[in-house]
Amino acid sequence: MANFFPRWTNLLPLKIAICAVSVAAGVALAVTYYATPKAQNVGYQPSQPIPFSHKIHVDQLGLDCRYCHSFVDVAGHSNVPTGNTCWNCHQHVQKDSPKLAPLHREMDVTYPGYDGKPIQWVRVHKSPDYVYFNHSAHVNRGVSCQSCHGRVDQMEVVYQAENHSMGWCLECHRAPETKLRPLEEVFNLKYDAQDYVTKHGAALGVKTTEELGLKLKEQWQVKPKASCATCHH
Amino acid sequence: MSKRILQHPEVPAGETTVSWRTVGQLEDTPSFRAWLTREFPRGAAEMSGDEDMETSRRSFLKLMGASTALAGFGMAACRRPETYIVPYAKAPEWVIPGKALYYASAMPRSGGATPLVVTTFEGRPTKVAPNTLHPDGSGTDAFAQASVLDLYSPSRSRTVLRGGQKANRADLDAVIATLAKDKAAKIGFVFGADDSPTRNRLSKELASKFSAAKFYQYEALTGESAAALGDGISLVPDFEKADVVVSLDCDFVGVDASFPIAAFSQRRKPEGNDYKGKPDTSRMNRLYAIEGTYSLTGGMADHRLRVAPSQVAAFAAQLASALGAGGNAASVAAGKEFNWIMALADDLKKAAGKSAVLVGPRQPAAVHQLALAINTTLGNLGKSVHAYQTGNTGLGTLASLKKDLDGGSVDTVIFLTPSNPVFDAPADLEFATSLSKAKLSIHLGARTDATAHAATWHIPAAHYLEQWSDARSSNGVYTVVQPMILPLYPDCVSELELLLALLSEDGKLLNGEGDKGAASPAYGAVRKTFEGIADATDTAWKKLLRDGFLAGSTYAKAAPAAKAATLSSVPAPTAQSLEVVFATDSSVFDGRWIDNGWLQEVPDPITKLAWDNAALISPKTAKELGLYEEIIELEPVNQTLSKITGDEVKNAPVHPDGESGNRRAPIIKVTVNGKTAELPVLVAFGQAENVIVLPVGYGQGYDKDDELGRDTSTSSHVGRVGANTGVNVYPLRTSSTPYFATGAKVEKTDKRYSLAVGQEHAAMYGRAIAREISTMSGDKGDFDAQLKNVKFQGSDAHAPPNVSLYKQENKPGEPLLSDTLHQWGMSIDLSSCSGCNACVIACQAENNIPIVGKEQLAKGREMHWIRMDRYFAIDKDNDFDPDSPELVPQPVACVQCESAPCETVCPVNATVHTEDGLNAMAYNRCIGTRYCANNCPYKARRFNYFDYNKRNPLIAHNLYKGPFGEKQVGEAPHLQRNPNVTVRMRGVMEKCTYCVQRLKDAKIRQKRGQKQEALVAGKDSTEMTVTTSTLRIPADSVKVACQEACPASAISFGNLLDADSKLRRIRSEKNEPVLDRNYDLLQYIGTRPRTSYLARVKNPNPKMPDAPFIGKATIHMA
Repeated sequence: MANFFPRWTNLLPLKIAICAVSVAAGVALAVTYYATPKAQNVGYQPSQPIPFSHKIHVDQLGLDCRYCHSFVDVAGHSNVPTGNTCWNCHQHVQKDSPKLAPLHREMDVTYPGYDGKPIQWVRVHKSPDYVYFNHSAHVNRGVSCQSCHGRVDQMEVVYQAENHSMGWCLECHRAPETKLRPLEEVFNLKYDAQDYVTKHGAALGVKTTEELGLKLKEQWQVKPKASCATCHH
Repeated sequence: MSKRILQHPEVPAGETTVSWRTVGQLEDTPSFRAWLTREFPRGAAEMSGDEDMETSRRSFLKLMGASTALAGFGMAACRRPETYIVPYAKAPEWVIPGKALYYASAMPRSGGATPLVVTTFEGRPTKVAPNTLHPDGSGTDAFAQASVLDLYSPSRSRTVLRGGQKANRADLDAVIATLAKDKAAKIGFVFGADDSPTRNRLSKELASKFSAAKFYQYEALTGESAAALGDGISLVPDFEKADVVVSLDCDFVGVDASFPIAAFSQRRKPEGNDYKGKPDTSRMNRLYAIEGTYSLTGGMADHRLRVAPSQVAAFAAQLASALGAGGNAASVAAGKEFNWIMALADDLKKAAGKSAVLVGPRQPAAVHQLALAINTTLGNLGKSVHAYQTGNTGLGTLASLKKDLDGGSVDTVIFLTPSNPVFDAPADLEFATSLSKAKLSIHLGARTDATAHAATWHIPAAHYLEQWSDARSSNGVYTVVQPMILPLYPDCVSELELLLALLSEDGKLLNGEGDKGAASPAYGAVRKTFEGIADATDTAWKKLLRDGFLAGSTYAKAAPAAKAATLSSVPAPTAQSLEVVFATDSSVFDGRWIDNGWLQEVPDPITKLAWDNAALISPKTAKELGLYEEIIELEPVNQTLSKITGDEVKNAPVHPDGESGNRRAPIIKVTVNGKTAELPVLVAFGQAENVIVLPVGYGQGYDKDDELGRDTSTSSHVGRVGANTGVNVYPLRTSSTPYFATGAKVEKTDKRYSLAVGQEHAAMYGRAIAREISTMSGDKGDFDAQLKNVKFQGSDAHAPPNVSLYKQENKPGEPLLSDTLHQWGMSIDLSSCSGCNACVIACQAENNIPIVGKEQLAKGREMHWIRMDRYFAIDKDNDFDPDSPELVPQPVACVQCESAPCETVCPVNATVHTEDGLNAMAYNRCIGTRYCANNCPYKARRFNYFDYNKRNPLIAHNLYKGPFGEKQVGEAPHLQRNPNVTVRMRGVMEKCTYCVQRLKDAKIRQKRGQKQEALVAGKDSTEMTVTTSTLRIPADSVKVACQEACPASAISFGNLLDADSKLRRIRSEKNEPVLDRNYDLLQYIGTRPRTSYLARVKNPNPKMPDAPFIGKATIHMA
């Protein structure tokens, strides 16, 4: 009986194995590099129907976050301002700017293209449907907007500053002291922990920012949970 | 092959109680055994059993490999999809996106509105809960809980119909305008039996505008009590004052509920409702029930006598004569039953002025008169029973409407009743024929039912959550009905809006909104009524809207005179001349809920049958008629099993999808009143002999998918949910026999029909599962001894304490249950639980639980997180009535074991413990191995075999088409979803998590207190020290959905670490029993459950002949 497999096939299993391993390794590397939240989310900066500048409104004009995101400290969802919030000012200010056309279409009954339809803002930060995240639980306990959203006051166009992966959430849930700040400073995006310690450290009896975080954690009994049902239910 | 070996200890020899769930278990059929020992019914875990339909593991892998490869190529084009945030243009008042908003409203219904608090999310009503401020607010029943689904129902009527065909709204408007201008119109208005002050006011105005108008009241099953007591008079017991309650065929905790029962249930607890007192039997009431078939009330009764409904009158007469209230001294023959009645009479005499005798609404007038005479003689009236004059007076009946239609004094009919007279009126009235004589008929209804098709015009009705109205609760408290949302469909009209259009000059029908965005005209009408009752200030009106009711308002007292009852003696039924009972159904009521998936899918509390009705027959009568063997033989079987065991199984079902698990019941032919109906038959325990119970309301329409290929001419009368369910037995019912009919015959047929019966699978085994004790001294000692012994029933007397092999630590030194603020626990009081299913449906509404349809249910794939177990038990020595077992309901959901068997077997850690003692499910992590369900001794876990939430399970074979199947029909079903609970997909395990979303919400709200304290103190936050009292939720301030809905306050939920919590009087901080009645389910397994139970207490009268056998129904399942 003839030899069914020719001689060159002897090395074939090895070759296949090497190929398979390298393909698998390549896929693994590619996934880690391209498909993780860090790679996919950070820096996401869609253009918005109105080129709203947080830098102008917050940094230059000094608006508080809560003027527009008015329910961030009472609700789970941090609301995007309704049309009439914008219209409060912009029926008087910059009312002829062509950039505000969508707002006029929404709010200005005298505007030629008025349709009363709300503006569709493009979502920048999105947690998956199976994640329950509550803004009020964080901002009322000394976690600042800035900890998750970065220096929004410096952004001309909002982008995602942090990766919002589960590992990233857990980093803080396991060591909240790194992010805690006095409740008065939660909405102050310019807050610098070192400056605060220099100014108030003596009165509070803390020397370093770490000590400040630990003191607040202790005093306020901040014990974030890390079990699944904290965010998934 | 059995997956599990049962190792539960055998029941000891001295035990006299025999307990069972189903007839198959009682008879111990081989097929039942096989069914019992399986974790899942055979085939439940398989895609199919047939060769050609098989999707084997291998072909699955092939397909998966191919699709993964494709996905790899497809990924290259993967980009983050753009999603949008769309805020309001103008912010509505009060609405905070993402936060629930609560409004007080009420569900109008016959016998008194159910006061509610409605949860809305961004304007969508998602859930109803009882209004606890309301004096008549006493929980909700299953109907109230399920009513929210009707709002979004795909089968809801949404367009105007003319002669059953889609019509123009403008044409209808013209008809109404013409009618409104015709002051001589001979209109007959048919109202429902609810009492709405505004409607009553408007009907007076209508009467003066339309001089020839007549007014009628019709609901199919409201009965004859008003005829006996006087026009518009109702009797409402005050259970707080009633020490002895007698139910003459009155299922007041179940389908005949028309008054608050909270006080009744609370008086079933010997420690008092809040468990503050020492156990004291004088706190307890005593319930006697005389009824034909088991009802929930009968299940609660301390003494129950099973009597054919036709014979109840004789017992009432005997009782009345023994109490000197008329009646007939010789209507019950001497014997056991005579002694029973006489002992009851003695007990009532002792409780004169502190008792209540209640009659089922559909018993004949004579029985109502007897009961009134008894209540009057005992001096109960005005004390423990109140007679009220309701506002529903001067209304004609359906029979008088028929007469008026035939005689021509009414030629225009406007149907506003929730009933469906063309379908459910007594057959001999031939109402449809009379209706066709009308020149014009307008039907306002939520469904396109038979009456909608028979009427000239059908107008889609607004749901009660979409309209302004008002109602009286059972004690006459003025209660407002507020809209939560504008009608979902623009043509939906409310009752008041239609009446107001007819009252207006131009007859313009304004619905939803008034002119130019103004409020609906009904708003003005309700406000005007209110101002006529209370003061006209804005404050009073706002308080009404906030509280939902007008404090201090009540019905005027009435003084009904006891008339001498004219008794006609009906011969007792025999096997040759059976008695047929037309029973109110616990799922569809009189047929109006037929298109409600939640109600259809929840198993009947007694029979455990879902999606159908069946003729119920007692085992003995079934034997006499030669049906019993057939029913037993056809107990749960499946073809796969028969292939393996080689047993020839008669009529083994071959399901089109190749799966098994269907149960086939023989079909019988019932003939009575000259009409016949063919319907499947089931054995019902504790039912009177020679009585056949036929639940009404089903069989409204069949389509081409019907198993028996029945007539499809009425298929448009029902939606997808109600189609092909059950058999219509209304044609058997006549106006002289509205409730029971005698002289019925039964014939066997060779047909079979599949029925979905719950509780035969996924059930627990073990000893002393549900425990019961008696207040009477007996062979188990006196009450105190029995109380002390609750914890030691079953194996708990001798099983050594379990030692955990696991260190209860997360990491070294970090205990598992580390939360020092909250540790959650629950306790379910079997003494007040009646098994009414309100919790099951409340849970379904709260937790986005899908329905799975009849076929899936038959395979044991139900998704209900709460399983309402129902057991029967009888003392072997019972010689009073050995065929009348006790009924014990027991709701079981996940008990949140501290040492949870499910957690240790999950390969992916998808089910893990939280710090505060919940056994959590991370759905997004679950890969669906089902090991956890396998290892759960309580069978509390549910698996999504299909994507029930996405694919419509009600279309035949739809689920098996996978992604090609049709999606859920309708535009709106997703609007009912609770946004804080994940909607689970296929392949995911789920179960009760103590409404973790509510707990989270409460905790987060509590944390805000820190900031408020800082603000109040005027201190810097850095100087603040937060204490436990700031962060801990106030005792008993958070309620889980089942607890909130429970009309019997049987469920206590709370924080074990909070000494003020109600739960702490039952359970200690260490999760150990404190109250004597408290015990753990399957304690000897050592799971340390957080949900524990309180033993049922029966309060028998020692003088009663059956007293020694009461209170022994401790359930052993082996």
